[in-house]
Amino acid sequence: MNRLSRRMLLRDLGAAGLSGFAPFTGIDGALAAQGEQLLVVMWGAAWIEVCRKIAEVYSAKTGDSVAWELHAGGAMAIVAKMKPLWPHVSYNLVSGWDPVFRAMIREDWVLPVSLDEMPALKDIPPAFFQKNDKGELVSVPLSTSGAFWGYRTDLVDSPVESIEQLLEPRFKGKLCVPFPVNLTGLLMLTLAVQRGGNERNIEPGWQFLKELASKGQIGRVINNNSEFIDSMSSGETSVAFFNIGAWTTVRKRFPVKILSRLKDNKGYLFNEGFAVIKNDDPRKVAAAKAFANYFATPAINEQYNWPLGEGPTNPNARANPDVADVFYSPQELTQYAYIPDYEYMSSQVDAWAKRWEQEITPLIRRA
Amino acid sequence: MSMSVLRRVLLSPGLLILAVLVVAPITLMALESLRPFVGGRAGGTTGWTLRNYTELTQPAYAYYFWDTFRIGFIASAAALLLATPLAWQAARTTQPALRVLIFGLLISLLFMSLIAKLYAIQMTFGPTGPFAALGTLIGVPARSPQYAQVQVFIGLLHFVLPLATLMMIGTFQNISPRLEEAASSLGAPRWSVALSVTLPLAVPGLLAAFMIVFAACISNFVVPLILGRGVVLFATNLMYTRFSDIADYPSGAAIGVIMLVLAGTMVYAMTAIVRRLVPADVQR
Repeated sequence: MNRLSRRMLLRDLGAAGLSGFAPFTGIDGALAAQGEQLLVVMWGAAWIEVCRKIAEVYSAKTGDSVAWELHAGGAMAIVAKMKPLWPHVSYNLVSGWDPVFRAMIREDWVLPVSLDEMPALKDIPPAFFQKNDKGELVSVPLSTSGAFWGYRTDLVDSPVESIEQLLEPRFKGKLCVPFPVNLTGLLMLTLAVQRGGNERNIEPGWQFLKELASKGQIGRVINNNSEFIDSMSSGETSVAFFNIGAWTTVRKRFPVKILSRLKDNKGYLFNEGFAVIKNDDPRKVAAAKAFANYFATPAINEQYNWPLGEGPTNPNARANPDVADVFYSPQELTQYAYIPDYEYMSSQVDAWAKRWEQEITPLIRRA
Repeated sequence: MSMSVLRRVLLSPGLLILAVLVVAPITLMALESLRPFVGGRAGGTTGWTLRNYTELTQPAYAYYFWDTFRIGFIASAAALLLATPLAWQAARTTQPALRVLIFGLLISLLFMSLIAKLYAIQMTFGPTGPFAALGTLIGVPARSPQYAQVQVFIGLLHFVLPLATLMMIGTFQNISPRLEEAASSLGAPRWSVALSVTLPLAVPGLLAAFMIVFAACISNFVVPLILGRGVVLFATNLMYTRFSDIADYPSGAAIGVIMLVLAGTMVYAMTAIVRRLVPADVQR
């Protein structure tokens, strides 16, 4: 009969603990079953669901395994999380969107990608990539996405044709809007565009926002997808400005009209995807690039974007027909779409967030 | 080895751990609060500045600090008010079943996920919940920002009530029931015994419980985040935004330092008030 000794217990506990912490410490080798173990940061909700399915098949094919970590709040939070840990960061791939990539590029955390190493990228239009100062490609674009105004048609009595209508008394307390750190201040931009401004002339947006806040129209200020879905699904609010991924979740349950073709406003487009994070281990880097490349292949790019309601970046992948009405034909792009200067906007978010705290929240509270 | 040397030797590991775990992070935070920040970058840059403090002198920030302390104070006071009779009952009851019931309820509440409790409150008392009429009853429409404060109060109360009650049970168990019996045998009515004997003896315990639940309230982050609907923000939420969302560590650190100073001052003031009001022999 085997007796459990203290030494055996400590050895077993140590092995179990180390294998549990392996993704965070970079400890692998003997403890990993086979292949490389990657740590990938991804969004929750529909994103992680589809990614887990894709990764299962990938792991079975390649032997590489994937541990997932979820973004807490907006994707920009990952930059703040990585900063104090750098260079001891175990993430191999980080999902993000244009402003997040810009912030990581400024910190010099991201590895360039090449079409030779990642053949699936050859199909993706060059305009979708983020580049560094040397002109190298430093993002793996997987989705074309956007932020739009929209409303639940079962809760709003007559159609909304201009966001100027949101000042009407019927919308008192019914607006759900993101805090400026979310979507990197696109809310300020859409309000500015409405009044003739743009990202570098944002003041008209602040004035419009103050009108909305002082009239009591803003019922909820959200910080992430979950809060948006919660607020719109419960009927607490009925009109909102947010990203198409979260809108798609609400659309599956309730009748929603996305205002992607407003006469006097725009839809705000951006790309989402992966950034390959610097790592001393070339095998990890190669495995991370191979995994990102897999996501960019036509079949997987389609599988990934279909449930998210986002557009695939690979032209050989099909878009979900349920969101086809939201996105634009090439002819419509100039009329309805706006691609902001995210580099500039991400440099302003700190100031905009503080201005919101100083000027907008007090107005909402007093309304 | 003399006793004093031995005492120092024995204390040194604890002091070292305290220095590493408490003093070092607070010192680093205080230093970070004096660093300049460049928009779009992560963390502070080189140099020194007081800008992170001066920008908090904007009147709007007084509201955030005021909300944090005001709502935290009200929730803590309400928790003690509700916890005291419950704790007294649990400590003095002669029915074991009742004691088990009270302890079971409190411990279940402690173990229940805070997130689950908060979403349950939101579903029940939120603007679309079945008890949204509570707002109308107290003159605050359920969709108004003021009602968000009521929800945050309910959330904090849920959070600290079991803590306060469990701490107060210990306090009442340490007060000899013979003192109350002696007062009763001399003809004092029960209310008089409670006010003139039990309550004064319980003051140190009440104060300790209040300070702990108050600290738990003002440092709470999740309750205002979920129930505040983005319009009731505690200082912790402002800090989180700075540290996590925009990587403006210096500004987040400045709020942390101010919170530390304000909370320390409040604790000192409350302790001083109790010292004046409560006789020294009771304090001991």
